[in-house]
Amino acid sequence: MGMIDTIAVETSERQIAGKTVAVSTVLRGRPPSYLRVAFSTVIGLLRGMKMTLGYFLSPEEIVTQQYPENRDTLRFPERYRGNLRFKFPNAEEHESHAALVTQVSQEAEVDAQHAAAWMHEDNGARWYHNCTGCGKCEAACPNASIKVITRHGEILDDRELDRFVWRLDSCMFCNACVQACPWDAIEMTAGFENAVYDRRLLVYNLNKMAGPRINLIQDEENPDVRKRMVERRDRYGGPVPLNGFGLPNLLPVPAPLPVDEAVDAMPGQEGSA
Amino acid sequence: MSVRVCTLDDLLHAPLEADSDLTTQEYLVNMGPQHPIAHGSLRIVLRLDGETVKHVLPVPGYVHRGVEKMCEHLTYRQIIPYTDRLDYLSAIMNNWAVARTVEAAAGIETNERIEYIRTIMSELQRLQSHALWWGVTGMDLGAYTAFLYGFREREIIGEIFEETIGARLTMNYIQPGGLMYDIRPDFVAKVKRLIPYLRGCIEQYETLLTGNAIFQERLRNIGILDGAKALALGCTGPVLRASGVPYDLRAIEGYGMYGKVNFNVVVGSVGDCWDRYYVRLEEMRESLRIIEQLIDSIPEGAFSTLHYNADVILPEGTHYGQIETARGVFGVLIVSDGKSGIPYRLHFRSPNFNNLWVVTAIAPGWRIADFISIQSSLDLVVPDIDR
Amino acid sequence: MTHPMLAIPAALPAGSPWGAQTLAERASASQNLWVTAGYFLLAIVGVTVLLTLLGMVLIYVERKVAAHFQCRIGPKRVGPFGIFQTIADTLKLLFKEDFVPPQADQVLHILAPFLALLVPVVLLALIPYSPMTQIADLNIGILFVTAIGGFGVMGILIAGWSSNNKWSMIGAMRAGAQIISYEISATLALLVIVLFSGTMSLSGIVHSQSEGWWVWRGHAAGFTAFIIYLIASTAELNRTPFDIPEGESELTAGFHTEYSGLRFAFFFLAEFINMFTVSALTATLFLGGWMPFHVGDWAVLNGAMDAIPPGVWFLGKTSAVIFLIMWIRWTFPRLRVDQLMHLEWKVLLPIGIANLLIAAVLVLTNFYPFPH
Repeated sequence: MGMIDTIAVETSERQIAGKTVAVSTVLRGRPPSYLRVAFSTVIGLLRGMKMTLGYFLSPEEIVTQQYPENRDTLRFPERYRGNLRFKFPNAEEHESHAALVTQVSQEAEVDAQHAAAWMHEDNGARWYHNCTGCGKCEAACPNASIKVITRHGEILDDRELDRFVWRLDSCMFCNACVQACPWDAIEMTAGFENAVYDRRLLVYNLNKMAGPRINLIQDEENPDVRKRMVERRDRYGGPVPLNGFGLPNLLPVPAPLPVDEAVDAMPGQEGSA
Repeated sequence: MSVRVCTLDDLLHAPLEADSDLTTQEYLVNMGPQHPIAHGSLRIVLRLDGETVKHVLPVPGYVHRGVEKMCEHLTYRQIIPYTDRLDYLSAIMNNWAVARTVEAAAGIETNERIEYIRTIMSELQRLQSHALWWGVTGMDLGAYTAFLYGFREREIIGEIFEETIGARLTMNYIQPGGLMYDIRPDFVAKVKRLIPYLRGCIEQYETLLTGNAIFQERLRNIGILDGAKALALGCTGPVLRASGVPYDLRAIEGYGMYGKVNFNVVVGSVGDCWDRYYVRLEEMRESLRIIEQLIDSIPEGAFSTLHYNADVILPEGTHYGQIETARGVFGVLIVSDGKSGIPYRLHFRSPNFNNLWVVTAIAPGWRIADFISIQSSLDLVVPDIDR
Repeated sequence: MTHPMLAIPAALPAGSPWGAQTLAERASASQNLWVTAGYFLLAIVGVTVLLTLLGMVLIYVERKVAAHFQCRIGPKRVGPFGIFQTIADTLKLLFKEDFVPPQADQVLHILAPFLALLVPVVLLALIPYSPMTQIADLNIGILFVTAIGGFGVMGILIAGWSSNNKWSMIGAMRAGAQIISYEISATLALLVIVLFSGTMSLSGIVHSQSEGWWVWRGHAAGFTAFIIYLIASTAELNRTPFDIPEGESELTAGFHTEYSGLRFAFFFLAEFINMFTVSALTATLFLGGWMPFHVGDWAVLNGAMDAIPPGVWFLGKTSAVIFLIMWIRWTFPRLRVDQLMHLEWKVLLPIGIANLLIAAVLVLTNFYPFPH
């Protein structure tokens, strides 16, 4: 025991596969005398112990993150690839958030507070969307985690989104759908707390409204027509085509929560945008 | 030179010949699929005579997912996230291998900015991979503290990836014709801050494990693999270079910006576990050198030359491209029918599969603990073996 | 200049139990059967409480120390600073299935954990915690420690053999070879102290260090014996860098691979109690036990040191040795089995024998600093 090598690296040039490459060779060499070997062995062991003791004595080196406690201070990079959702349409396209809330409450026939709560409830879905139902994301998805179901919109006489079904259970968060979207309608967010007790709950509609893109709705002046253009879609409503079976009545469609409860029930850290 | 590879038949029907006058008995043990040294799910059948390993037979296949077959139904862009899941510690480099093959076959041009960023990112990932490997080697040999130090550096580099790419492990970053995202404005400053920090970390690695006599005793002159045998087994990467063969695609093919920067190919002089250990540590220093030379001069330009939704159709024929990942040569073989945007046949030449069979050649005759050293020095990633 | 508290009582006054040093002496000195039985009960309760307390504290400390060596925080959630973590772990192990493999030797498999725990518990009775706190002070104390300590390998061997598992078997065989080999060096180091102090009684050894601890008063021989004993006893504890019997990355869990639930907890507890016993013995033999730190006739310093109670000295020294053992564990990788044997038979044993000879010469010439 107690053999230690001195370590040296020697630089040279060598031929390989018809090319000359610069090479560093790792050399070996024992210290000359047995005493030196024993000495450097002990010194080497003690230096290692000194280093670990240094860490032991400096608590500021601790790197542990206390996860559930630090949920409020967790910061995610802007490009973090978590849950998929519809991008919130650009703020400048609306007069104000309050105006949008009013509009939503009128169209969904709920009061403004509920509408505000729904709009905050962003675990996957936003109220309006910029999706045309073109299906580019569905085509780009490597493992078929997206199913875009379109319908014929009668008012605009054009294709529009009916349901945007996302399979969280088979998604590998590769960002291909976001990259492929020509309308910049979807984004990946910082949502990552996806644990559920029934894996069927991992297949759901991303959109809250079936209907055309938000710009087309806003171009319409008549509020009654606007209201007829969109139709409410629930997260788990309707047959889920990718599941092989439907999810009727798996979850009762929840009555709108009072705002306080809705905010309490909100998953914590989604929506860093 | 040919190498004899042990088969299951060898193991089961070999005469029991314990090298002792005592009436002892050889026995078979399954190291894995669930075993700390498997680093995943790898089954290794050992025939032991007491503590001495007589035969080794790796039985891969416990993480086989049929990635190559799945890829025959995917476009070339869709293949890339699947390569993240092969050697997940070299995800960016695996992405690059597919991108390089597709670009060469389809004649897609890239600009210099793209190549700069690809090279820097690959070297960061190599650093990350080697830092983790260093920690895991320490853990395998009983120094559990080293594992957490290695992981800490890995996470710090992971922060940079997360900010640029949005993911820490499965990057899906390098695409045919460019990158998924441009670097962020503070990327250069952050990487420059990282370089001296990582140099300090490598010094700490040297203090904690390299200078430790116990650690040296566990690795030195254990599992000697000579260059000819390594070549015959198809080894690549640090395993091959530790055996004295300076074969590094970065230097030989000079893809990306590697042809324009100065760096040394690190080779070993003996080919034992110690050389495989120290070659990787030196490679980390070389990676830092490469990043240092590139980071200040990233030119302006687009981060992608190809629209994401553009169809990529390869000409009819067989196309092959390869990249030096942290573990060796990762090759992509694509057979295209020239009509559709998906490969007709596809094969990944993964470095870990070839490196795995080294154990059959060098482990017999060593003890169980040496087998751990050997296995650890090969730095295997099991999903890359099974695919 | 000896502190009155530290003076050895010249002779026991007849019929007076309080003149005695240890529980055993007090019990035997009393004429009343009930009082004797009461002392026995006190000894049993004392050791049990100590056992439980030590298990709880040491496992918690080990986890915290390991965490801070590794830039982590360690247990934090169960109770303030996670101090109830060990209790939570114990409860969890208590409720786990008590699984005995069907092919295992049922009786021995169940017996082994108790055997493993027995040895350190017996040794707890011999340690002089303070001048008045000791359960039994045998005049062959060192011999008893060595003999009982050597029995510790039985639990491990039986566990490995009875589990009917190849990994367990390899681990047990490794443990047997390792522990028996390192006994020799440990005993040689103990003999140095026996030579120095001229007694085998543990409290006698402590009293012999009133002028200075053997680790420095015994010159290089004392220090060498200390280092050898530290290495050899770490090896007997199966702790890194000598944890090859349970070497996690090689043998999954070694000899206790097939143990679960409370039986695993017994092995775990045995390991930690063993660590305490070994550290306490190291402190007693080399670091003066409960004896305060004295420098010759320097009355001011000696008086100041005497103000600290002996129990605190004992605990402090033991904790320091425990920390040293943990520190080594969380820094070094583990040895290979043949390197371990090499270290013992070719390095430690020759040094130990030479050290014993040097110590004998030192004792013959009475060449100490501050001689009696």
